Amino acid sequence: MSGAHLHFQYESLEHQSDTALDGMWLFLAQEVLFFGGLFFAWLLCRHFHPLGFHRATQQTDLLIGSINTVVLITSSAVYTIGLGFIRIDDRRRLVQCCVVTALLGCAFLVLKALEWKVDLHEHMNPGVYFGLTGADAGGAQLFWVFYWVATVLHAVHMAVGIGLVAWVVHRARKGAYSAVWHTPVEVVGIYWSFVDVIWLVLYPLIYLVGRPG
Amino acid sequence: MMRIVRPIAFVWLALALLMALELGGAFLHAGHVFGGFLLVPAGVMVLLVGFFFMRVQRSGGLAPFFALAALFWLLVLLGLDSMDAMTRTDYPVQATEYP
Repeated sequence: MSGAHLHFQYESLEHQSDTALDGMWLFLAQEVLFFGGLFFAWLLCRHFHPLGFHRATQQTDLLIGSINTVVLITSSAVYTIGLGFIRIDDRRRLVQCCVVTALLGCAFLVLKALEWKVDLHEHMNPGVYFGLTGADAGGAQLFWVFYWVATVLHAVHMAVGIGLVAWVVHRARKGAYSAVWHTPVEVVGIYWSFVDVIWLVLYPLIYLVGRPG
Repeated sequence: MMRIVRPIAFVWLALALLMALELGGAFLHAGHVFGGFLLVPAGVMVLLVGFFFMRVQRSGGLAPFFALAALFWLLVLLGLDSMDAMTRTDYPVQATEYP
């Protein structure tokens, strides 16, 4: 069973598994710097426009943002439980956990789309028809530029993650994973939790930090 | 089954409590500066996910090194870039007098 998964360039399954995990962590390290530029933009703009950011934060939908945070935390926990099951060779429960994870990911995207719709309805899109006026409107527009760029980028990562989890379900149903070989399940799990981590940082930046009066 | 679910359920509970903490903090009337402190629970949540869901400490090979390198370069990025912007003194531009 294990020999069927071993590619010729590796000396053992452990070597192959370590290389795959290292590859994902290296990819995520550059993702941290990719999102780091975005976090710096928030830091800089908030430093120069604290009142505009404060005003803009009041316009965000805290309820949907909070529900989405719980949804993502839960999805990561469920996937990690699924990973625990494949370590004891329980493929059926792995598939169940992955399906729940993917459904929670879809729920996140649906809620996010609803939130975007409300935001657009309230003219929270920077530009000529921006819904806020007054002295702080410039800073508020910068906040909403950050909001749109950050949430759309995060949603793209979520969509990719849902696709990867669906791929794990497909492969698991064909019996590709076992207690001996399940590295792809681990690699996808690391990616999924990373998307969760990015949201855990975006959540206070978008919905909370500017709220205390 | 409980052996697998229980530890993850505890981590989930800790994450939910930390989220409730930062959410509650957002409703305090403690001024704009206090808002920055709401990032502290978020930082703890990131560590919990990193250690218990992503299991960085158990990933073999270079994974922990890559994770630390990412944090280091993120701090360099945020620190060095912020240093210029936040220590800069702005002077008004003088009106130019043309002969």
